[in-house]
Amino acid sequence: MRRARPLLGTLVDIAAEGTEDILPAAIEAAFASIERIQKLMSFHDVHSDVSRINEAEAGSAVDVDPHTYRVLEFALELSDVSAGAFDITTAAVLVQHGFLPQIASAQISSDATFRDLDLLSDHRVCWRRKGCIDLGGIAKGFAVDRAIAVLRAHGVATAIVNAGGDLRCFGEAQPIHLRHPDDPTLLMGLGWLADAALATSAGYFSGRDIGSRRIEPLVDPKRPCCISWDGSVSVAAPDCMTADALTKVVRLAPDAAPDILERFNAQAVVIDKLGSRCCGQPWLLQEGITK
Amino acid sequence: MRWSPFLAAPAAIVSTVPASATVYLTTAQAQHAIFPGASFTSAGQAGVWRTSNGGYFIVDQVFGKHEYITYAVGINPNGTVKQIEIMKYNESYGYEVRNPAWRAQFVGKTAGSTLQLNSDIKNISGATLSSKHITDGVKRVLQMYESTLRGR
Repeated sequence: MRRARPLLGTLVDIAAEGTEDILPAAIEAAFASIERIQKLMSFHDVHSDVSRINEAEAGSAVDVDPHTYRVLEFALELSDVSAGAFDITTAAVLVQHGFLPQIASAQISSDATFRDLDLLSDHRVCWRRKGCIDLGGIAKGFAVDRAIAVLRAHGVATAIVNAGGDLRCFGEAQPIHLRHPDDPTLLMGLGWLADAALATSAGYFSGRDIGSRRIEPLVDPKRPCCISWDGSVSVAAPDCMTADALTKVVRLAPDAAPDILERFNAQAVVIDKLGSRCCGQPWLLQEGITK
Repeated sequence: MRWSPFLAAPAAIVSTVPASATVYLTTAQAQHAIFPGASFTSAGQAGVWRTSNGGYFIVDQVFGKHEYITYAVGINPNGTVKQIEIMKYNESYGYEVRNPAWRAQFVGKTAGSTLQLNSDIKNISGATLSSKHITDGVKRVLQMYESTLRGR
């Protein structure tokens, strides 16, 4: 059974195999779990945890959902490990370039970084200097992980959840395709994926042209500005939140990437004008494995 | 740990050709998915059905730059959206490749393999399409419902 719905700002496609009596409820529950994550983490929803964090003044603690807290924990850990190459507090730059809408952000300190967000006990967070976060580079992956957990809990045997290109599967191995960064009509087989996740970062659909340059909603925190690049990075990892977040690290910190990929048990595949290369744990298999 | 060449599996290059389509649900299947057990009567406009429980089932299309999507909206008797389901997804490219020489890099690796034409490609990573058109479409459908269907 395969269904798709508009969620997370893209199309979420769920394909599942199992007995007929469990599939409809399982898929419905999986979409519902994605909707819950969307409500918690959407930059555009004024009631989301993200918006409440962005509205909070420095020093004022905000209660968040345990899911949100978990995502923030991982994001800050990755910021630390990547020396700031991954940083969810780059939202102000995205707003500046028109990739995110303006919010009431009068008091945002332009110097605030991930180090200014404190995680307190009881799922509370607090700004030191007030900043602005966007979980766009990580929340989709987390939502996919939640959907997978729900499908498993309903007894589904094999499934793949694909949220606009961030995907994860379990059960039978799945063949995965990648669009050529410069020609979306051309798909390349990346190989087979079994019980793992894959995310891809490339500018072909989300980018914006500024004069003759094309920029993307990806911020290099060290500059900080939106970068432009022709190519694609795919990361395979045990879970989709990790895969999603690591695509940014591989693009922005290519020298540090091999060690970071090893630390998170992940694999990267980069396609650009120089060719295609990979590094890390061999998640992508040449052939499917029958279980 | 370092970088090594990544080789696509042989015969793994697939061209979607300028257009491809994925069908998720027929109209009847979408009706059943959104309003299981209900019956449907035409409301006098194309693509609009009244359900036996006082709701509405509406089929609409939206067009993006490279795709068009047929989807269904179920509206509850109280006018709220019950559910949205994608019925058919078509993509098509009159696309100007920016760097054609680079594209050849992919094709070159497939010497000896067959190019498959597959109209139902699944599991594409990196296909980030915006759902904004659908969200706008649903708003339009709800406005139409409010002005022409509600309370009739």
